[in-house]
Amino acid sequence: MGSTRGKHEQLVGGILGDGLPSLIAAAHELKSPLALVRQLSLMLEAGDITDVERQRMLRQISLTSERALRLTSDLTRSARLDDALFELEPINPQELCKDIVHELRPLFEAHGRNVRLVPHKHPLLLVANRDLLRRIIMNFGDNALHYADSKGIVEIQIHTLQSGKVIRLGVRDYGPALSSDMWRSLKTKLALAPQSVHARPESSGLGLYIASQFADAMNGEIGVTRHRDGATFYVDLSSSQQLSLL
Amino acid sequence: MSKQTVLIVEDDPWLAEQHARVLTKAGYKTSISPHAEAAIDAVDDVHPDVIVLDMLLTGSTAFALMHELQSYGDTSVIPIILCTNLAADMNLDDVKPYGVQRMLDKTSMLPDDVVTAVRSVL
Repeated sequence: MGSTRGKHEQLVGGILGDGLPSLIAAAHELKSPLALVRQLSLMLEAGDITDVERQRMLRQISLTSERALRLTSDLTRSARLDDALFELEPINPQELCKDIVHELRPLFEAHGRNVRLVPHKHPLLLVANRDLLRRIIMNFGDNALHYADSKGIVEIQIHTLQSGKVIRLGVRDYGPALSSDMWRSLKTKLALAPQSVHARPESSGLGLYIASQFADAMNGEIGVTRHRDGATFYVDLSSSQQLSLL
Repeated sequence: MSKQTVLIVEDDPWLAEQHARVLTKAGYKTSISPHAEAAIDAVDDVHPDVIVLDMLLTGSTAFALMHELQSYGDTSVIPIILCTNLAADMNLDDVKPYGVQRMLDKTSMLPDDVVTAVRSVL
């Protein structure tokens, strides 16, 4: 098992990994869902399909559109990070993650996969912006869905680190393991170009890049841990001291 | 006569399903592999007559897969149809040495184009 962390630079005008200008990376990430929606729509137009197929394709269109819209919304949020003030507040990570699991479940089920929360035994509070943290975990969830194997379960996990000073929210997939070569490539890229964190070396990594921006805006940090059978993408945030004052 | 088999190597399961849907309607047998490693196993298992290959795959890239296929006499002759979002940035002549005979642009292709491409290489 290994672990690595990444930071970011400004998205607008910045450069993502592999020398891709950020605009190109964004366009590339949006091409795939749009191409799929187009294919399915054309198929529906042609009409030679059963009712069951039609329902399935309509569901796929709506869920794929939602994913694409999430990305565009994240991009807009990311581009305006410097202009906005973010309210940081004590948040119960367990409740937030429960809501996210509820929101992601239809997408996972439509792919024949499952997402679940691994609850933490004790009540916790962390300091974050609710909207940005939600976007980070949703982003990790989308990423995990892409890489989880066909019968895979994706888990959202909550851990405490540094004697409870830091709370780690992780999204664990059981997809294909990063090979040693890929892991070395990922670490090298992080070392040479710490502005971007890649899901896997072949992806543009835009989603995770945005997640790292959001984490940074909350004084947090994202990272990835490699497992023998998948990976965990996580965000570390400071815990709130409010509980200890009670 | 047994149906000809198309191996679809595509990491978007719903797009793979869409290709399989139209190819099945056109009378082909299909098999789907989500990444290059699975595709290598599938080539041994299903002995495809043609491979429809997404350019950007999870894990190993399409080039690694094509290189592997070109390394063996029996697999080097399997025609490959590249199906990619990057078609506008690529030249078919550059990828012909890898066994690629057709290239489809995911962003502009029609659903039946995959059938037309498969027919044209068999």
